Amino acid sequence: MSLTAKLAWRNIFRQRRRTILTIMTMTGGFVLSSLSIGWMDGSYSGMILFFTNHRTGQIQVHKEGYLDNPSIYDTIDNYSSVGLEIDSLENVRAWAPRIYTGALLASREEGSPSGIYSNSAAAAIIGIDPRLEENATEFSNQITDGEMLTASEADSSLRATGQILLGKELALTLNVTVGDSLILFSQAADGSGADRKYTVQGIVSTGNPEVDRTTSYLTLADSQLLFALEGRVHELAVMTTSLGEVDAAAAEISGVTGSLGLETASWKVFAREFYAGMKADETQLKIMLAIIIGVAALGVLNTILMMVLERRREFGVMKAIGTQPKSIVRMIVLEANLMGLVSIIAGGILSTIGLLILSKHGMVFDPPMDYGGFVFREMLASITPACYWIPSVSVMITSSVVSLIPALKAAHTDAAKSLRTV
Amino acid sequence: MKTQTENVIVTRDLRKTYEDGGVPVEAVRGIDFALTKGEFTAIIGPSGSGKTTFLNLMAGLDSPTGGEVELSGNLISEMSGKELSNYRRDHIGFIFQAYNLFPVLTVEENIEYIMLLQGVHKKERHERVMKILEQVELQDFAGRLPSKLSGGQQQRVAVARAMVSKPSLVIADEPTANLDSKTSGDLLDMMKKLNEETGMTFLFSTHDEIVMKRARKVVTIRDGLLYKTDESSE
Repeated sequence: MSLTAKLAWRNIFRQRRRTILTIMTMTGGFVLSSLSIGWMDGSYSGMILFFTNHRTGQIQVHKEGYLDNPSIYDTIDNYSSVGLEIDSLENVRAWAPRIYTGALLASREEGSPSGIYSNSAAAAIIGIDPRLEENATEFSNQITDGEMLTASEADSSLRATGQILLGKELALTLNVTVGDSLILFSQAADGSGADRKYTVQGIVSTGNPEVDRTTSYLTLADSQLLFALEGRVHELAVMTTSLGEVDAAAAEISGVTGSLGLETASWKVFAREFYAGMKADETQLKIMLAIIIGVAALGVLNTILMMVLERRREFGVMKAIGTQPKSIVRMIVLEANLMGLVSIIAGGILSTIGLLILSKHGMVFDPPMDYGGFVFREMLASITPACYWIPSVSVMITSSVVSLIPALKAAHTDAAKSLRTV
Repeated sequence: MKTQTENVIVTRDLRKTYEDGGVPVEAVRGIDFALTKGEFTAIIGPSGSGKTTFLNLMAGLDSPTGGEVELSGNLISEMSGKELSNYRRDHIGFIFQAYNLFPVLTVEENIEYIMLLQGVHKKERHERVMKILEQVELQDFAGRLPSKLSGGQQQRVAVARAMVSKPSLVIADEPTANLDSKTSGDLLDMMKKLNEETGMTFLFSTHDEIVMKRARKVVTIRDGLLYKTDESSE
């Protein structure tokens, strides 16, 4: 260790109590920043993974314009070959085709087996390929009662299964359970009437009562047959290998689909309401971090100013015996940086403990929290490099910047004047 | 700028006027002074006579409002801040009234500090520190902090620090003011011995009779002017 470093290190312990308080302030700033970042990263990663893994996929492909103005007629033709091409891309883990339409569902009144279908409800119909959907979103995990739709062969066979899955609340509205029948009324893409009798194969609970009150599911083959959409779908939902690869995967997929009149959107686009909320939260976090760092900076500034004031005579001696002003600046900034370094080590240890606790236990929402149309039951922190490097860099920059003014003041001490004061 | 001279330090019509609450105060009013190599000279005078200001001007700690200071043939009034800083580092050794050692550095590190500024190699630094500590009879105190030393010992460390860089001139501003008479006498004897052994030039301000008695030349300053110079018969 150089003599300047020794001098700086020993100087910070001259006023032990004050130094400890300053280090504690910076450590507090580090820990709060680190926990906030870990909490924010963890909760948002959790939310994004939750809704993209279980429902939307991380990337969606539609016919151009569909996302802004959905229509039964805006379909992806030859979806199977497009999907297989997407599936072969490096950052793509799985894909699933979907059809979206609407219908009126009607069930018989209880105790009237031969009676009138008098319970009715409007519902969104989502046509899914059971095998591909299971591969992509593990859809069967959301079935709380009954079973998953039976997978039929590729849509070319168009074999109707006659099975339907109902959202939990929708089933309550229609007053049906697994095994009951209901009739679906709608209009096909060719203008003909689309109606058919289905048997309830299972009950679905996505965790979002709003969704479960209005959604039902048919096999892709059933919906293509019913709605005259043979060989066509409205959406390809794509799962990437990790959240961090979404943008890269979206760019790759755009390369495949761009020439086909299709548009590719990542979750940031199709869940724009959620994304905007997340960005707003990020801004709030940045403001909060700036306040935390500002408070810590004031603590450091106060300490360094006091220290410079108390050691004026010493700086006078240093200058008198030939120390260059820049060496004095370097020494004082080094003193602040050393306090910063101790804070980073202490803050790193405390933050790790806090983050480990928050990443295991987190926060449970009872009742579940609706955020941007998605419902969450639990939030956990995550431990990422950002939890450490952002507070570390902030502490070091703050300690350097804040100590610079007192350091320059010390460096310009009038040696003759300061030596005159005893 | 280099000029031809045999003197260590020369002042010509040296002047310094301060502003004190808007009132000009003439602390030094035109002093012509010269000090040759190896001298052991005391500057005396009543409080406020301008002794310290005169020493500061000669050391380049303060800038004159008139006249010039020439140290080892160099006019210090023509030096930049950085040059002055290097000049003090290489040519002036300071001994202060209040010792002014760095409290967080050990005796050895305090003495080593100035050689570090000079870029002296570690091995040589250590050798020179040990030699000077032996000369000031503090070789057993190298690892101690200044707070663990008596006032006299601290001032001896200050003497060692001032001399270790082999300066052209050692300036001591009232070096015995904080010491008892016995310690003051011992310190002056030691400084005089070092002056004789090394041939280094010493210039110190003092009120102290003990110091005055040991000086070979005593210069009296009054009201910012050189009043008289007495040579010792020694």
